[in-house]
Amino acid sequence: MANLVGVYAASHGPMIAREWDSLTPPTRASVEEGFGQVGKRLMASRPDVLVIVSPDHWVNFFLNNFPAFCVGVGAEHDGPPEPFLKKHFHHPTLAGHPGLGQHLMNTAIDRDFDPSMSHRLTLDHGFCLPLWRMGIDPIPPIVPIVINEVDDPMPTMRRCLAFGALLKEAIASYPENLRVAVLATGGLSHFIGEPGMGQIDEKFDRTCISLFERGDPAALASTLEQEVRHTGNGGHEVRNWVVAHATAGNKGFELISYAALEEIYVGCAFAEWRVAA
Amino acid sequence: MRDYWLNKLFFDIQQSPVAAEYKKDREAVLARYPMSAELRQALLADDIETIVPHVNAYLLRFYYAIVGMKDAEFIRRLNEIPDAPLAPKGKEEMSHG
Repeated sequence: MANLVGVYAASHGPMIAREWDSLTPPTRASVEEGFGQVGKRLMASRPDVLVIVSPDHWVNFFLNNFPAFCVGVGAEHDGPPEPFLKKHFHHPTLAGHPGLGQHLMNTAIDRDFDPSMSHRLTLDHGFCLPLWRMGIDPIPPIVPIVINEVDDPMPTMRRCLAFGALLKEAIASYPENLRVAVLATGGLSHFIGEPGMGQIDEKFDRTCISLFERGDPAALASTLEQEVRHTGNGGHEVRNWVVAHATAGNKGFELISYAALEEIYVGCAFAEWRVAA
Repeated sequence: MRDYWLNKLFFDIQQSPVAAEYKKDREAVLARYPMSAELRQALLADDIETIVPHVNAYLLRFYYAIVGMKDAEFIRRLNEIPDAPLAPKGKEEMSHG
């Protein structure tokens, strides 16, 4: 049976890659420290497969077809299309893990949960920027999970908890002896292409952190369902963290670091969940 | 209300050839997207206030980054939109970038 060996979170602000060569030393140090810590912990967990939960930033999906959830089941995925990331992250393709991806799809369908599926996704900065900054080498096969967090209507926090529980079950029931880690990316607060862009909503970020630390999934879902409506659009990415929270068994997380990094427009946070036995 | 073709243009312009063509001749590219005359004119004039209600905010950000508007100018224009749904918790509670 597969084993869940670690569940982590990392922000993925694209300005980190866009402006990497000109970031001020304090911002750069903060980013390096956060990603470095998560990368170290993730690699120490020695995953055979890495499940990454992220939004799609208008790369694979458009208004003519926009799934709430999509599971990447392919043997191979395309690397980031963004020129600003390609120059740093030299992976035109990334290996997938069709076995676990398909098992997750089958488990979902058996449980009346109907995500979309893709045999080949293009993995944008949401997936690849953390891999670049964590310096993971070699990168294990990836099962990408895309959640719609960029256009309404988006899945509820309650549904994200349910998806996380489903992922936990799918990992536990996968028949092969695999070590599986989960990485949720994105968040915390940021405002993209809307008034307030460049500001960071520290109050929202602190609320999120406190809820994830405490663990209680019901409080997490109900509070965040309200709070995300009153912060910047980037805050919706906290849904990935909610999925990770349930995958880890709702035991709460250890915050590794948080900084309101105005220079990169993001409340930048890193965390590791306590994984339920 | 969302305008499908405006969003489609902003989606397509992420492709380098489309971006290059658009930078060279906006009107020629716009002719392929059946949007209203008002939106077409707003694009030609970089009238962000008119565009905002009709497009996804991420796509708006991508578009203006691709056509070369500096972030400081883009942010200034966004924040000058009258009656815009401002950063909801009040600027006094937030950090500023």
